[in-house]
Amino acid sequence: MPLLAPHIGSQMVDLGSALLLLTCFAIVAQRRLSACVDLFALQSVFLALTAALVAFLTGIHHIYIAAALTVVIKAVVIPRILKQVIERLNVKRELEMNVNVPTGLLICGALVILAFFITQPIIPLGFLLTRDSLGIALAIVLIGFFTMIARKKAVTQVIGFLVMENGLFLGATAAAYGMPLIVELGIFFDVLVGALIIGIYSHRLQDAFDSVDTTKLTTLKE
Amino acid sequence: MSWPLVLLITAPVMAGIASLFVRQRRVIEVLQCAQAGAMLAAAALVADRVIADGEVSVGSFLRADALSAWLDLIIGVVGATGTLYAVGYVGEEMNSAHLSLKRYSHFFCLFDLYLAAMLLAVNLENIAIMWIAIEGSTLSAALLIGFDRSKAALEAGWKYIILSSVGIALALFGTILVYYSSEHVLGVSSEALRWSQLYRVAEGLDPSAIKVAFIFALIGYGTKAGVAPMHTWLPDAHAEAPTPVSAMLSANMLTLAVYAILRFKAVTDRTVGPEFSGNLIIGLALLSLAVSSTFILVQRDYKRLFAYSSIEHIGIALLGFGIGGLGVFAGAWHLMNHALAKSTAFFGAGLVFLRHNHKQLDRVTGLLSQMPIAGTAILVSGIALAGMPPFGLFTSEVLIAAGAYRARPETTYVFLALLALAFATLLYQVLRMTLGAPGEAGTALGRQCRIFTGAAVGINIVALGTIGLHVPSGLETLLTSIVKMFGGGMGVSR
Repeated sequence: MPLLAPHIGSQMVDLGSALLLLTCFAIVAQRRLSACVDLFALQSVFLALTAALVAFLTGIHHIYIAAALTVVIKAVVIPRILKQVIERLNVKRELEMNVNVPTGLLICGALVILAFFITQPIIPLGFLLTRDSLGIALAIVLIGFFTMIARKKAVTQVIGFLVMENGLFLGATAAAYGMPLIVELGIFFDVLVGALIIGIYSHRLQDAFDSVDTTKLTTLKE
Repeated sequence: MSWPLVLLITAPVMAGIASLFVRQRRVIEVLQCAQAGAMLAAAALVADRVIADGEVSVGSFLRADALSAWLDLIIGVVGATGTLYAVGYVGEEMNSAHLSLKRYSHFFCLFDLYLAAMLLAVNLENIAIMWIAIEGSTLSAALLIGFDRSKAALEAGWKYIILSSVGIALALFGTILVYYSSEHVLGVSSEALRWSQLYRVAEGLDPSAIKVAFIFALIGYGTKAGVAPMHTWLPDAHAEAPTPVSAMLSANMLTLAVYAILRFKAVTDRTVGPEFSGNLIIGLALLSLAVSSTFILVQRDYKRLFAYSSIEHIGIALLGFGIGGLGVFAGAWHLMNHALAKSTAFFGAGLVFLRHNHKQLDRVTGLLSQMPIAGTAILVSGIALAGMPPFGLFTSEVLIAAGAYRARPETTYVFLALLALAFATLLYQVLRMTLGAPGEAGTALGRQCRIFTGAAVGINIVALGTIGLHVPSGLETLLTSIVKMFGGGMGVSR
């Protein structure tokens, strides 16, 4: 017997997904790099809560493991690595951006509409509990992608990538009640190694260019 | 239990990990040569078994069908010669005191793990674990591209890792959508992620979900295959990576990404028919051809020249797969010949760079008399890459043009015009580099370097020549099974 009526459960999952989307907008609007990292950690906590809620409502236990890993890796370990990078590189704020904040927020709004447009024909296929989250998941992926394009500092580009990963995780949970456990573990491992490698790269960029502003990377042009 | 398949994947893993702990150069060299031999033998044995039995599997985890065996052959053979070449190339860099022993062993560890990740990816039965393996190859390649730590190398590596991460994330979304539609048919379990099961039930999957999934997979893995307009990382990465890595990127990694697209295409074609995926692939292929043949014209860096030529050839192969039928046969044949020829071209280019320490195209002349190994490599592979007989790329390009003419006459004219442009430029540059009188003297290369790189170039050229004019019967069996995977193709009723 489910402990909650299905429609309340589905409303709660929607609420969790909406909070994730809200933190995306906050990241796009935020200029201070350390605040961006905090917002990413907060988003990961929301993600873990949403996943745990799905696990609780469906009784699929391996989602709990994935939720716990999300807290450990994405809310604690990776933010700590990023903070160290920021401290060492001595970059506090993103002063110039390719797209200013109000325009960026408008574009993100358009991306949300686009995401729902793409997923609309396939949403009825999903489980009743989580299917509305699929559109939100794609929206988060697209906003993460946009952040990577719109920002110039290496650190914010990494955050954009991690936001995309959060969107994918929400998508997997929403669409399919999570991938099989071995797949989830593999994806976590890849994300962690990826974040480490990008961290190593930003150190080396700093040493070579005296900057982590990726617009200074202009040696290679046609 | 099929031990050649296990050996093929574990040989580079073990050699790579061992290289990390060994602190003697000679031992690392022996390990790498053993790995190259093991990979060559294992790839041949796997292909042999697949030709005889149709497929080889290890539990429900690894399964090699004809398409996997085809990729095993490409990555196994080119990976083996690439390893031999790396022993010569990196050894020479070490002799001229660019590298410490520690970095030397790090290089080989990364290089072997990179090969292992690619070999694992093409034999995996699970679509999502294949994604994990491909991401593994992306990450190891990112460290290899920036290995020199020069400004240009770091910039190329950064571009590569950012673009590939985005691409691979989109591909994961495509994978999730396939699972989303297949679990309704196969249930919530790993079964719903197995290629063989997906092919079996593909006709019952939800068409709109599979269409969206294919678009995400095509853009995602297409970024990794260097398909225009997502190709911008490719010339930088190929030009700035250490040359053995450039050769592996071009010959193996682009081919691996095409393989991933093909797997998704096979499912999509069974669900919604070949027109949908075919049209998308043909569009991207022609765009890649147009972009690359234009940029080949203006290149002043010989490694970038070969890099743009890779975009061109991946575009040609994709055009074949998009057309279907005979085009699939030609596309697969094109991939194998391109891998052999392009790695040979990079092997030659790397030797020129070691000797002259610059990459300027117009300063390189008379290679044939100054550096016989590099000269032969660039001349033979250049003729092959331009698409002249007696090499396989000629056969496959003619077949693709013929297939395109039957299915889509208007694409044929565009295809042939772009092909002619790339042909003329590449052949001109290659002949100018290899013939004539040598220019600058440069520093002569050591004996060990010449032996190892000569062996690598020799094996590649012999392989390229052997399969040049006719398709050996074993390979033909494989190709026929690959064509069967994709059904009739465009213009032919289902």
